[in-house]
Amino acid sequence: MEVLLNTGRTVDQGVSMERGKTSQEYFEKVAVAFLHPEDAKELGVGEGQAVRVTTEFGSVVLRCSLGNTERGSVFVPMGPWANALTSALTEGTGMPSLKGLRAKIEAVPGGKPTTLEELLRSWRGRSGSA
Amino acid sequence: MVLRRGVVCPFCGCLCDDLEVEVEDGRIVSTKNACPVSRSKFLSHAEDRARPMVGGREVSVEEAIEEAARILREADFPLIYGLSSTESDAQRMAVRLAELTGASLDNTSSTCHGPTVLAAQECGAVKCTLGEVKNRADLIVFWGCNPAEAHIRHPIRYSITPAGMYRQGKKERFVVHVDVRETRTSKMVNQFVKVQMGRDYELLSALRAAVRGYEVKEAAGVPGEVIKGLAERMKGCRFGIIFFGMGLTMSRGKNLNIDAALRLVRDLNEHTKFLIMPMRGHFNVSGANEVLTWLTGYPFALNFSRGYPVYNPGEFSAVDLLCREECDAALILASDPAAHFPAAAVRHLASIPTVVIDPKVSLTSKLARVVIPSAIAGIECEGTAYRMDGVPLRLKRIVDSPYLPDREILERIIERVGG
Repeated sequence: MEVLLNTGRTVDQGVSMERGKTSQEYFEKVAVAFLHPEDAKELGVGEGQAVRVTTEFGSVVLRCSLGNTERGSVFVPMGPWANALTSALTEGTGMPSLKGLRAKIEAVPGGKPTTLEELLRSWRGRSGSA
Repeated sequence: MVLRRGVVCPFCGCLCDDLEVEVEDGRIVSTKNACPVSRSKFLSHAEDRARPMVGGREVSVEEAIEEAARILREADFPLIYGLSSTESDAQRMAVRLAELTGASLDNTSSTCHGPTVLAAQECGAVKCTLGEVKNRADLIVFWGCNPAEAHIRHPIRYSITPAGMYRQGKKERFVVHVDVRETRTSKMVNQFVKVQMGRDYELLSALRAAVRGYEVKEAAGVPGEVIKGLAERMKGCRFGIIFFGMGLTMSRGKNLNIDAALRLVRDLNEHTKFLIMPMRGHFNVSGANEVLTWLTGYPFALNFSRGYPVYNPGEFSAVDLLCREECDAALILASDPAAHFPAAAVRHLASIPTVVIDPKVSLTSKLARVVIPSAIAGIECEGTAYRMDGVPLRLKRIVDSPYLPDREILERIIERVGG
């Protein structure tokens, strides 16, 4: 399914970030794709199930959460999972393109969200996806 | 048990200064008036602390400082980045270090309100303090921001519900939320306007046309009559303000979106008093812009390799430098680019010798050659921070700390680099 990617802050992201970015709580609150219930139904995924989000710049598996977004879009809380998908193109401003990117979303039956360790490995290994 | 009153929160740009914090045996045990994120920051201050490291091996702080100085001395084109979650004396020291090492110097505003700075440099901005908003504003517009999740006490302290001198609570204010989706903020306002993602510039331009009396049709998914109604409401208020966030700065158009918003506000001042304010994220990102501007003339994205400061966002901004793989070493102060930069930039950061000064384990510290733990500004050491409206407030030391403040770590690095 083709969607637009939105990223940003949530209360849970802020609270868990202050507890520690290596905490299980941060992983649970930030490695999340918020989808409109109708879009999730079309994809055949429910609350807590795995979806893969892919952009031109990277790809990660996230836990699906229903609500909190419009149809045709996916919201991923700001953090390393969202930024595995975003564009570093700043168009001369210094500001990367962190909102409104075209993304593809698909169900990953039985899949697990990409872990922080996998992201760290992908950065160290200079690979394009996690 | 010691109760500290009038504590300033070192989390977001609201710098709420009415917190009460209870300390028992050197640890914070409870907070009053704090939002959930602030409470988490105070109560978790002793958890997940960074340890001094060099190359993955735990060392003394002195050894880590020595290695940090060596890396910066030997680098040809270092980057110093972050600065926004610390106090202003540390920011001053970061400028000194950048000058000494001929480094590029950037702060987190390049990935939050850098586009706001660029637009304001083009056309100016009509500004005020949050106190004036609380006391006088009868029309509040939140555009591309979600204070209910990102600046949680902003609505109750400054913008929606507080009793001000001339405005008594929500009933005497009209509040609008313009965004790409309904959020918790939308539930707090009188009118929600849904703009299509990436089309804010179009809606702002249509509003400008409507304010000037032109007939407007649908723009960015918003019906013409809604645009006209909002324009009339803006012209007819006594004191209006737009608070805006990353929905404008990070989406298509970036600084041009802000330019359109600033010019809309300028147009509105032909009819009434209207103002605009960015919702600043890190608690002292405003201070980072202020300090760099006093000392160099420029607010972010500058370079000292010629011996004097040169300003050029897009060239000397951190994401651009990293993606072009130009910097050969980095010092990251009080921020976590590995968590918040696009992966393409993080990959280069992971490949060069990086020094991290941070109170906590960060994702950047996981990639760094050198980690130097520091005291948390506003909890474990005092200092000055600038609120989102540019008002400086004094941060307090609430508990003692075995860690050095950021400013002292930087001073020691400067001594060893040769300052």
